[in-house]
Amino acid sequence: MTIDEINQQLAALANCGDPQFAQAAQYVAQATAAAQAGQMSPQELTETLQDMQRQMQIIQDMGQLQLKETLNTVINGLILIAAAAT
Amino acid sequence: MKKLLSAVFVLALNGCVAYDAYMLTSFDSNEYQLMAQIRIDARHFATACANPVMGKPNAVAMANETELFVAYSEYLPHNSDAVNAARALNEIAQGLKDRYNSGGAVSPLFCRLKFNGIEHSADLIQQTLGNRPR
Repeated sequence: MTIDEINQQLAALANCGDPQFAQAAQYVAQATAAAQAGQMSPQELTETLQDMQRQMQIIQDMGQLQLKETLNTVINGLILIAAAAT
Repeated sequence: MKKLLSAVFVLALNGCVAYDAYMLTSFDSNEYQLMAQIRIDARHFATACANPVMGKPNAVAMANETELFVAYSEYLPHNSDAVNAARALNEIAQGLKDRYNSGGAVSPLFCRLKFNGIEHSADLIQQTLGNRPR
């Protein structure tokens, strides 16, 4: 993958409409630009990008948990309705 | 009643997911408070990154806080999503501490990005933990 292709994908991500991913894309672009300007070492940039992957994992885990919380609410609601119907 | 039976049937189609959701860990005020503390400290520590005296102690403090959150959460039953997120958050914090401990220079920008990332993730985790069933 070339730098141009990476930049195109970053731009697509920044305009995908999802605020979480748009913010992530902006974060990656800023970090890369800062490293190119000498404000961060290449090792620090690598770690920063690895942190992005860790943050994506957190977003995914919290999405799963949010779904379970919603399902929990639904199940408890159904139990209450079923109990009232008997 | 038909609608109710249909809903129960749909849930029964994927019993494991329904079981996980039904058995979900309830709201835990200690877990919630730990995450609030991490979020606020990350915000404050980010402002001190340009101070060479404060960078390392703040990084150590944050690594300890996120490690405490992992240790607190990991044996709560039916809590795997929160534990996975806690471990990822701890990895982010440990990375900053390790860099300070390695003796090399740590740029203020790197330090700030670390704490900003921790604050952002902690905010998301706290919001989700706050929605746990009471």
